[in-house]
Amino acid sequence: MFSHYIDLGWRSFKRTPLVSLLMVLAIAVGIGITMTSLSVYHMMSMDPIPDKSDKLFAVQLQTIDEGQTWWSPDNLPYQLTYKDTESLLKSDLPYKRAALMATGFSVHLNSDKVKPFLEETRVTSRDAFSMFNLPFIHGDVWSQEQEDSAAPVTVISSSLSKKLFGSENGVGQTLYLDDLSVQVVGVIKDWQLHVKYYDLNNGSFNEPEQIFIPFSLIKAHEINTWGNTNGWKHEPVKVFNDKLQSEKFWLQFWVELNNETEKRAFEGYLANYIAEEKKTGRFTREQAEYKLRDVNEWISYWEVVNEDNKIMVALSFMFLAVCLANILGLLLAKFLRRAPEVGVRRALGASKRQVFFQHIVEVGMLGLFGGVIGIIVAQLGLFGIRQSLSYYDSLANMDISMLMTAPIIAILACIIAGLYPAWVVCNTTPATYLKTQ
Amino acid sequence: MLKMNNISKMYQTEMVQTHALRDFNLHVEEGEFIAVTGPSGSGKTTFLNIAGMLEPFTGGDYLLDGIDVGKLNDNQRADLRNQKIGFIFQGFNLIPDLNLYENVEVPLRYRGIKAAERKRRIEQCLEQVGLASRAKHLPQQLSGGQQQRVAIARALAGDPRFLLADEPTGNLDSLMARQVMELLEQINRDGATIIMVTHDAELARRAPRNIQVVDGQLADFTLYQGNPNVAVGA
Amino acid sequence: MLEIKPIFNALLRSKVGAVLLLIQIAITTAIVSNAAFIIKDRLDYLNQPTGYEEENIFKFNVMTFGTDLDLIQQVELDEASIRALPGVVDAVQISAIPLSGGGSSTGFRLKPVPEKSKSINASYFETDEHGLNTLGVELIAGRNFNQDEVILNRDYSQFPKVALATKALLDELFPDEEGLGKVIYMGDQPLKIVGVIGMMKGPWLKLEERKDRSVILPMVDPGKLHQFLVRTEPGQRAHVMKQIEALMHDNYAKRVIQDLTGLDEKKADYVAEDRLMMRMLVVLISVLVLVTALGIFGLTLFNINKRTKQIGTRRALGARKSTIIQYFVVENGIICIAGLILGVCGAVLLGQQLMTHYSVPLLSNWYIATTALLVFAMSILAVIGPARRAANIAPSIATRTI
Repeated sequence: MFSHYIDLGWRSFKRTPLVSLLMVLAIAVGIGITMTSLSVYHMMSMDPIPDKSDKLFAVQLQTIDEGQTWWSPDNLPYQLTYKDTESLLKSDLPYKRAALMATGFSVHLNSDKVKPFLEETRVTSRDAFSMFNLPFIHGDVWSQEQEDSAAPVTVISSSLSKKLFGSENGVGQTLYLDDLSVQVVGVIKDWQLHVKYYDLNNGSFNEPEQIFIPFSLIKAHEINTWGNTNGWKHEPVKVFNDKLQSEKFWLQFWVELNNETEKRAFEGYLANYIAEEKKTGRFTREQAEYKLRDVNEWISYWEVVNEDNKIMVALSFMFLAVCLANILGLLLAKFLRRAPEVGVRRALGASKRQVFFQHIVEVGMLGLFGGVIGIIVAQLGLFGIRQSLSYYDSLANMDISMLMTAPIIAILACIIAGLYPAWVVCNTTPATYLKTQ
Repeated sequence: MLKMNNISKMYQTEMVQTHALRDFNLHVEEGEFIAVTGPSGSGKTTFLNIAGMLEPFTGGDYLLDGIDVGKLNDNQRADLRNQKIGFIFQGFNLIPDLNLYENVEVPLRYRGIKAAERKRRIEQCLEQVGLASRAKHLPQQLSGGQQQRVAIARALAGDPRFLLADEPTGNLDSLMARQVMELLEQINRDGATIIMVTHDAELARRAPRNIQVVDGQLADFTLYQGNPNVAVGA
Repeated sequence: MLEIKPIFNALLRSKVGAVLLLIQIAITTAIVSNAAFIIKDRLDYLNQPTGYEEENIFKFNVMTFGTDLDLIQQVELDEASIRALPGVVDAVQISAIPLSGGGSSTGFRLKPVPEKSKSINASYFETDEHGLNTLGVELIAGRNFNQDEVILNRDYSQFPKVALATKALLDELFPDEEGLGKVIYMGDQPLKIVGVIGMMKGPWLKLEERKDRSVILPMVDPGKLHQFLVRTEPGQRAHVMKQIEALMHDNYAKRVIQDLTGLDEKKADYVAEDRLMMRMLVVLISVLVLVTALGIFGLTLFNINKRTKQIGTRRALGARKSTIIQYFVVENGIICIAGLILGVCGAVLLGQQLMTHYSVPLLSNWYIATTALLVFAMSILAVIGPARRAANIAPSIATRTI
């Protein structure tokens, strides 16, 4: 019977092409606009590392004095001091840890082969590659000795390797970061991310870096951050070592904890660390404060999904409601005009339920058409967004789940709009329409 | 076969109650051909609609083939209507988007008959009304008489025991009316029970039994018993 | 004269159509008034005066990787060569670019650290005596700093003694006095205000509280990565920009010239999200109004078709065409007013929700009122066509039996 209803729905569509087209367009525009804002929302809020987002934790420590406030929601600084970062990194703990800092260099080969270019660089520690799921194509991460001895080594992405050396396998090659010559020890697959969750300080949707160098190089070569440095008290910083010893925040720190036990153990360690530091005059607060947030908590803590987008999603759903009210009216008109035919069908033995389903299938088809055209409308909308904002390139897109969602929302919405008209038409007394035609 | 005891039908509006039928009693035996006459607004069509279970009634009992119709729900009534009753209307009521074949197919689909069996029955019924060659035509391509014959084919397709006809010749000229009437008589001879509402006294006279509805009540006529030339009043 | 009561009764009987129309009008009013308000809010934000001739200024980054040079000397040399280009008004190395979203800010105090003191957060720019002219902002009192007051920073041993500040900052630090000539503190370093600047936005437009508060410090402190700002004669900018990279590389080769961009483009990048939001809202409300107008149009047509015979009968009984038009216009008007009442409540509620949860200012009632009027006008326009059609129904329809 279902295929028969589809056939009937198609005939009905063809009988009143204009009204049907109007309905399809109304739903298409409604769905198109809704899906445009929903897609961006979906991309922004999507879990960037689903298989371990609940195991990676950003570390925050409350080092600012009692009475001082910070602009974060819970008064905790977003970043860490160099002192704390180094201590956490070097402590004897069985968990994978990564200290991170954003910087950048003029990258060149000290020859005319490649024109020097500016490239953002991520300073980090060894564990970062396995923690953040960065697979090596060639070579491997630098060794612990290299990290400890601040060896001039680097890991680069495959596309950067191609750009510099003409081949994906740049292992063993030398490149220059400003005047520092570093040797490539590993090449990773390009890091593709929608949300730069590991460092949200300077734009949530920027591209991840393509060059990685050991954390120990910061001290050895006085590498300054390209990210934010924030202070909460006046500290004269004259030479680089002043900054290393200061209470200024400029580094990120992540730890991988595989279960609740490990998490509690690490929290215990942090509490102990704060107590120890207190003896040296730091951490003056009564209450030791620290926080571990997993990836998704971190993203919502930073309010990565911007509020404009939330407003747009809300408004576009209201817009969809208006389109539905419109469709409801048109469906009512269309179905009631067909009441005589329904009367005949009822006389010939159709039950109310059959008549109801026939009409629901018909509106479902309108929804399907509307949903498919809606995807086209949404693609136009997303194209427009990409044109306006370059860094939305990876955000203003529909992934498979959104492509599937569009027709489903469209069909559901149409069916909701069609319930009342279908109910009305299946409940009209058939006899009324049989006498005259 | 069909038994109506004290059937009543009342229309309720804000101001007034109107009795379309009251204390309506009728027994119809298997194989009868009954013509229902009566003035406009007397309740003929209401009677036919109740007989065909298109309208609920407000009081009394209605037994169809021993089944108490008053106790059925909508789905059961639809099934019963589909299996036992065929309708023929004054306005033909063919579905304009469907061709003749598909129009005849409608009741068979609701009965859930398999495609091959549907095809066999449709072709047979269209053959019976002499329109097999036009199966692919749309209703508006046919004359009124032809349309009514399709409607009859559609009513017959489900092999119903009852045929309810509401002014089946009302929109036809006399020649076509006679052809349709002959078709109905043939169907009656083949075993179907027919109840036909008509204004046309001459046609009514051709039916073996005449009943008259006046003010929602039944006045049974004499049986003519094959003598169409003698009219006997009650 | 107007037959409101029978129209009202008729409406009560055909509830669904009326309710649908009412809902559409209500939601449309709620959305359009709020969206229009947000659009206006963004438009004000995007078009706020900045104090700069944005279309005549451009910036670029220099990333030096060579080590065989004195950066400060090189900066002086680069500045001189750019200033010598025809069409250039002035050029300067500067620590931050206005309107770009990136820069420095700190608290400026009345007393040095660690004394307790009033402290006002403001953005600051470090540049030399050409900075004021290159930025092109207006000096409304006092003087620019002199070349001998500019600290060429090599070892952090010296700190500027004078500064220029915007009137907005000085008014907050010294609400009752003249700020010119006063000493303010950056940390524990005293700065004498020698000049007062009129309008000068900092690097940020969003942070409401510090956007008009700017300080210019006489200090040259170029890192390996430093920035230049150049102001040109009107119409000369594109031509000058084209020569920059070659010129800079002629001066010194081991460096990368990057982000050569006009100040207007910098600002456009910075406000891109707001512009996008504004455009999306404009699209949304245009389509919404269109859809609602079509909805009213369609439903009125439907009502008329349903009542064709009734209208014919009325005409046959002597109703004038104008009476029929009036009937539908009044009918629509009743629904519309009911919808508007609901929509105004919805708009206020939505506005409150947006204000509570997001950084949207409280919706002004003027927007609701204007939107309501426009929606009303639109609904009347949408109904007139179908109503005229109804008026043209022939009275003879009534006499036909079908």
